Amino acid sequence: MEQFDLLMHGMGVVLTWHHLLLMVAGVLLGILVGVLPGLGAPNGVTILLPLTFSMSPVSAIILLSCMYWGALFGGSVTSVIFNIPGEPSSIATTFDGHPLAKQGRAGEALTAAYTSALLGALVGVLLLTFLSTYIARFALEFSSPEFFAVYVLAFGSFIGLGKTPALKTVAAMMLGFILASVGMDTVSGNLRLTFGLTELLRGISFEVAVIGLFGIGEILCTVEEGLVFRGENARINLRVVWNTWKQMPRYWATWLRSCLIGCWMGITPGGPTAASFLSYSVAKNMSRHPERFGKGALDGVIAPETADHSAGTSALLPMLTLGIPGSATAAVMLGGLMIWGLQPGPTLFVEQKDFVWGLIASMYLGNVVGLIVVLSTIPLFTAILRIPFSIIAPIIVIICAIGAYAVHQSLFDVGLMLVFGVFGYLFKKLSYPIAPLVLAAVLGDKMEDAFRQSMLFSGGSLDIFWSNGLAGTMTTAGLVMAFLPLISRIVRMGRARPRNSAP
Amino acid sequence: MNQDTTQAPADGVRERGGISLRGGGLFTSGLLMLIAAVVMYDSLDQGIGWDAAGPQAGYFPFHIGLLMFLSCLGTASWTLLHWSEGRGRMTTRSEFRRVRNVFLPIAAYVVLMFFVGMYVAGALFIAWFMWRLAEPGKRHGWLKIVLISVGVPLATYFIFTVWFEVALYAGPFADLF
Repeated sequence: MEQFDLLMHGMGVVLTWHHLLLMVAGVLLGILVGVLPGLGAPNGVTILLPLTFSMSPVSAIILLSCMYWGALFGGSVTSVIFNIPGEPSSIATTFDGHPLAKQGRAGEALTAAYTSALLGALVGVLLLTFLSTYIARFALEFSSPEFFAVYVLAFGSFIGLGKTPALKTVAAMMLGFILASVGMDTVSGNLRLTFGLTELLRGISFEVAVIGLFGIGEILCTVEEGLVFRGENARINLRVVWNTWKQMPRYWATWLRSCLIGCWMGITPGGPTAASFLSYSVAKNMSRHPERFGKGALDGVIAPETADHSAGTSALLPMLTLGIPGSATAAVMLGGLMIWGLQPGPTLFVEQKDFVWGLIASMYLGNVVGLIVVLSTIPLFTAILRIPFSIIAPIIVIICAIGAYAVHQSLFDVGLMLVFGVFGYLFKKLSYPIAPLVLAAVLGDKMEDAFRQSMLFSGGSLDIFWSNGLAGTMTTAGLVMAFLPLISRIVRMGRARPRNSAP
Repeated sequence: MNQDTTQAPADGVRERGGISLRGGGLFTSGLLMLIAAVVMYDSLDQGIGWDAAGPQAGYFPFHIGLLMFLSCLGTASWTLLHWSEGRGRMTTRSEFRRVRNVFLPIAAYVVLMFFVGMYVAGALFIAWFMWRLAEPGKRHGWLKIVLISVGVPLATYFIFTVWFEVALYAGPFADLF
């Protein structure tokens, strides 16, 4: 087995004390940002990014990916104990997790959440281990028209599958592309959208946008709700863990379904949030006791957590093989790859074997380390949440400001962060999605390059995107996805009309 | 439709203070349309046609701007056509006040940073926040305020500037750090 050898090679890279310590540090930091309101996985990873410039890429990606797992774990602590989702993807966990905590079964809920999350993540990693080489090998044949077609498909699916209004998704996405096009144009050397400001010559960094949109925007939304933490007691010991584990096999069907949903939504850019909601409602509809859901059903915790984590891990599959991230956090990591001087996409699997397989191996270990760390540190993190918001909030703002500054050591960027904060608040209130904006901001330049190169090949004819079966299928599928909301609207109207006109 | 447009600002403001969904929605779509218009205008300068090297520099951004303009126009017209559905609050007056009370200090912190550097501005920001924005019915003692507002910037100094060698902007106090 080729993959197995490669994986063992990766394990060899990862299994050093240095990397194990980085894993623990990453998971702890991740739980911290997952627990704190206003700091989540995308901007936690972004803030940490400048600190990784001096590390080797393998160490850096281990730290950041473990932070991601930690944040996914941390998000559920607050969901269960405080009924406040620390991450959007753990909203669905509050539905049954918090009722369980109210009944004094917080330990049980958390153990079930983490264990199913770990198992969900492992399925995602297995998928990554065995599929990635094939997809990468396949993608090595791609040239610019195919890459552009992949982008069309990715962004089209955002519009078609997203739960937000399609027009708002398009607007947010286009804003992301605009951010990407600011600065010097790499082909012509023209200065675009700089308005004579020297600070804009190097462009607007997606990091600054992420920190403003997610960090400051989130703080403003949290303040608006007048946040007061009222937590339930969380006792957790080995006996509770063991007793919960004994119950878990009963829910294997729920778990399996949630894994499938999670992996699917992770690979297509549906993302962990959509996956956890979908998986919760599927579990509820398929259950023999749907009435127990919402009142503290254990499968109501298992379903969203499994899907959340399997989506989180499988989101790295398209990121590594095609250079298209499946979630906002994966988009930030992709940006990190470029900063570390690695070219994301299929060539990674040829040129950077240590990096890719080190990362995949670290995902196995990181999730196990994560489970152990999170189970043993729950009391610590619930204590942090009891610190008054008036102390935590300014510290979070300061961390965000430092994160924005550290990208280019520029105060101008901190000002930009503030502007993005206002947009983050407005977008959140008016249900504009932020993830497609981030994705577009990270990928905009590459998408434009792919487009221009294709145009050079074809001499300006758009036919090139249908010049072979592969590109044609993806472009068509992408366009169908993009127009799906419009099509389904017309179909619905068409169906409604005959009924109205009937006598 | 014209009539609706003229009513828009008046309606949005009059009802029980706060901001209505339609008012905030129209404002946001308008803002995004303005950005899109600026992008398209800038792209026209760059050239949106084709030359020997394929599409000119403005080609891609122009169409992006156009798509954004059209999608926001769509959202705005939807808001206008379904005017009565947007009566709900985007934010009530008391919520808005809470947001403003936090946003203004954050803005002041960012502006202050340019003059006194990130450490001092950070200390002042934390102190202000703890002093003025404590939870209702609570007060932080001055010793606690001083300790935290001095301690956090010091910690950031050691973590970022010393440990990870990402020097933060210290402004006029650069010699001290």
